[in-house]
This record gives sequence, structure tokens and C-alpha cells, in this order.
Amino acid sequence: MLQHQGEDIFVVDGHLHAWDATEENIIHEGGEQFIQCFYDYHTGFTPEERQWTLDEFRTYSDEKLLSDVFGTGDVDVGIFQPTYLKEFYEDGFNTIDDCGALADQYSDRLITNGRFDPREGEAGLEELERQAREYDIQGVKVYTAEWRGDSKGWRLDSDDAFEFLQKCVDLGVKNIHPHKGPTIRPLNRDAFDVADVDDAATSFPELNFVVEHVGLPRLDDFCWIGTQEPNVYGGLAVAAPMALDRPKKFREILGELLYWLGEDKVLFGSDYAIWEPDWVLDAVVNTEFTEEEKAEYGLEFDMETKKKVLGENAAELYDIDIEERKAALRDDEISDEFDTGAQYEGAAD
Amino acid sequence: MAVTADAVRDALDSVTDPELDEPITDLDYIETLKVSERGDVDLAFALPTAWCSPTFAWMMATDARDAVSALNGVEEVRIELLDHMHADEVTRGVNEGLSFETAFDTADGEVASTRETLDRKARLARQYDAMEALDDSGLNDRQIADLRRGDVTFEEGRATIDLDGLYVELDARPLERYLEKARTVGVVADDGHRLFASRDEEPLSPDDVPQAHRASRLAKTNMGGQGGVCASLHAARNPELAGD
Repeated sequence: MLQHQGEDIFVVDGHLHAWDATEENIIHEGGEQFIQCFYDYHTGFTPEERQWTLDEFRTYSDEKLLSDVFGTGDVDVGIFQPTYLKEFYEDGFNTIDDCGALADQYSDRLITNGRFDPREGEAGLEELERQAREYDIQGVKVYTAEWRGDSKGWRLDSDDAFEFLQKCVDLGVKNIHPHKGPTIRPLNRDAFDVADVDDAATSFPELNFVVEHVGLPRLDDFCWIGTQEPNVYGGLAVAAPMALDRPKKFREILGELLYWLGEDKVLFGSDYAIWEPDWVLDAVVNTEFTEEEKAEYGLEFDMETKKKVLGENAAELYDIDIEERKAALRDDEISDEFDTGAQYEGAAD
Repeated sequence: MAVTADAVRDALDSVTDPELDEPITDLDYIETLKVSERGDVDLAFALPTAWCSPTFAWMMATDARDAVSALNGVEEVRIELLDHMHADEVTRGVNEGLSFETAFDTADGEVASTRETLDRKARLARQYDAMEALDDSGLNDRQIADLRRGDVTFEEGRATIDLDGLYVELDARPLERYLEKARTVGVVADDGHRLFASRDEEPLSPDDVPQAHRASRLAKTNMGGQGGVCASLHAARNPELAGD
């Protein structure tokens, strides 16, 4: 847990990866460019003394992940967001089977989401069923800008996507995490446009849509949708590390999110291993609005809001009873390994 | 007389990164700028990532070409995009005067609509600074809502607002910057037009002003927030260029 001003904050990191971008796994130049681009994000926002080498960054062991997230990282529960990119990587970049194996082993600590791609048709629906069956997934990461054959992306409001969203409803997979990040390919059509979330969220009120990277650079469109759709949430991955590097800009983004979406709709994510939760969490939890900002947004980033953003909101979406979970974590394998069990003392049994 | 490097640089101040609404000169995108005695201009620029939207790269390249070509004393202009996954298409296309659709055989649309969308966002973001400036000068929501283009005059860096015979003077910059985009997107065309508009470009009633002000703030936060992301990436990838 995170200690802040004498209180414990239960942390759910809503955005983790376990990837393989080693040269042996890369089958398209896009794969090398993709990891290079991630690495620019890593070095661009990470304090110099915490930066990894590119080789360390290409892939990392399960032990390192557990140590970075739960040891130094102060995270209590983490959620994997798979990213396949099979056109770029022989065995995929970050697959549910890789994440799922680890999540099975540490089931109180790690949750894996699944993924779908509506362009896979019938086989894709069957694969989604398999994911639900084998990993009991509660959510999916969807990557609307992913390439597939001649297609350079797809939309969440297409008929094909609706068929998959209906399948999610049928399978009890209720959290949909669309990656809406920086504008990249395909050319002038913008596959990371957030407008498709609007229709999907209206049509599937029983699903929750967690827009990852809060739609940057379409924060404005995203917030606008978020005010109208009660089932739309914002994932802070990518925005969060700005809390250290560009604190004023981070406060502005956070202020807008809390103003337009509300304190129950914003979820923390480190985007590990692009950034380590350890320093990202410190920077976020120590964020305080100035008096002028409090007046501008008419709100505060106080302890109650911090607890919601850093853990409670994600716990709500993933049916985690925080008090029960603390009791389970007190003497689990991870607490033994990193000697973190004592912080859970006093949790209800 | 051949053009000077300073004149070329000044002309490039008008070329913006369309997603961030900042001049490419302030964003440190320009790697080399060579102006020969004869007036030939060679410009090479790099973006924060090799993945930056090729559409945006195309807009910056063609805008730079057009801005420099329009100067007196300029002979040939050569633009080069560096270290980008579509560097060849953009460089060849801009120098050979190709259309976007010809330069990119995989393009599935045109540039104009993307440019229009971004201009609309920039209009809204700039409206924030303009409204803030008027707010600071003591105008109330009714006065801000009712303001028409003809009520504003500019002289030597100052703007004068005519409020039915009552005059308010302030720094011209936020209003000039706003009007530039408001004209581009057609929100303000003549003196009779209202100065400000909602997110959907509808005229405002006094009651609409606070919400329009907040929507403008959000648009500005978005561009500024993304600007922060881009600046960090630029510093990581092109440390020799990025001043930050």
C-alpha cells in the first residue's frame, strides 16, 4: 500500500504489460519502431537515474515485474492490458496467455484482461470465449488502431464490433478498455478518434468503457463524451508520469477530468514497463492543486479523491472488496517475498 | 535582393504544428535552415516521434514550403522531413508539388478535413485566452456574449473594445490570435458577427458564457497537455534540437 500523510492508500494499477520486443520476436520493421517509440516515452518521462537500457526494456523477467510492481512499487493489485500486434511480433507483443499464466499464479495480485479484434470474425468470437473460459476475464483491452492485413484500424461503433461487445455482455466481460492514444498511423483517418466510444457506450449501458490514456490528444472530445455517458471512465496511463515531469500540465489534465467526469470515473495506471509505478505513484499522490486551481475547477485532489483514483474506482469495476483483499494479501507469496505483509495487519479477516 | 535567414525564420513562425497550435520554430523542430546568397532555401525538420501523424507532418512541410516561397528574394525551396517512417513520401511529395493522395498511395482521405477539424479546435482553445483577457479587463458575461467584431479595433499592439461608448484597452495578442483562427473557420467573417461562439460554433447568450469558457479551457488543456507529451518525446529523441 501507499503511505501518504499518515494514511494507507490501497493501490490498483490498472495498466500493466509483460511484453516481448526482443529482436528475435520482431517480424516487421513496425515492431522495432513500436518499441523504439515506447522507449522514447520511457526516457522522455523517466528520471535519469531510473532509466532502463533499451536491452532491459525489450523484455523483462516475471521476477523483475513482480519486484518493480509489488516490491518497490507499492501496488496491491495490478491489471494486465494485453496488446497483441501480431503483424509486428512473431508471438505477439504482450498476449493474454503470457499475462494469464502469471495472473493464475498470483491470482490475488494480478488480473489479466483479454482482448478482441472484430476483424477476426467467428474465430475471434471463439477466441474471446476461450479467454473467458480459461482466464475468467472481466475486461478486454481493445486496440482500434492495430493493423491487420490491409486494414489499418477499426471502430468500436461498427456492426462487427457491436457483435463482439454483445458477446462480452453474454460472457460477463464488463470492462472495455479502448486504447486511445497519440495519433499515429493510419495516415489521415484517425483510428484513435474517441467518437466511436460514444455510440458504443450508449448502445451497451451494461458495459463500462475505460478510455486509456484519457484520449490524449483528444482529451477535450473524450471529456465531452464522458459528461454524457455514465459508463465512460478515463485511464490515467501516459498522463500520470507527467505529474513528475510537467506537474502543472498534469494538474490541468487532472482538473479537467475531475471536473467533467467526476472523481469516481478516473483510474490510475502506470503503463509498466514504460514507467515504474514506484515513482509515478509518488508523483501522483503528492499532487496538490494550487488555490487558484481549486477555485478554477471548484474541487480538490484530497485524500478521499486520491483513494478513489488510485484504487477504489478500479476495485469497484473489478469487484475487489478492498478489506477482504487486504486480509488475503497479508501472508501471500508476494508479501513474503518483499516483506510487505505487515502493512495489511489490522485488515478484517 | 536575396532573402535573409532572419526573414525566412520569421515566415516560419506562422507555420504551426496543427495538433498543438504552436509554431514549429518554438517547438524546436527545425534541424537545419540554410539560405544561399542566391536565395535558395534548404530546410530540414524532425518531429517528436517517427510515428507522428504523417498527415500533420505533411501539413507542416507544405505550410513551410508555401510560407517561405511567398517571400521576396526566394529562389528554390527544398524541404526535408528527417527520421520519420514516411520521411521519403513527405519529402518527395512536398518538393515535387504532389497532392497528399498522390504522395501517399495508402491515404484514404484528404488533408483538408483534418486541417479543418484541428483549426476548429485551435479556435476554441484560443478563445480561452481571449475570454480570460477580457474577463481580467472587467467585462462581464453579457458584455462578452454580445461583443461583435466591429467593437474591437487594433493599434500598435493594443486592442480597444467599444462597449457602447465605454472603452476598454488591453494587450492585442490574445484577441488577434483568436481572430486569426476564428476567421479561418468562418466563425467571424465581418464586423457584424459576434466575436465568440460555443464549442459547436453557435452564438452565445450571457448564460452560455461560463460553459463556453470551460469548453475553451478544456480545448486549451488538451493541446497544452499533448504539447507536454510531445516536448518530452522530442527531448528524448532529438536532444540536440530540443531546448527543453
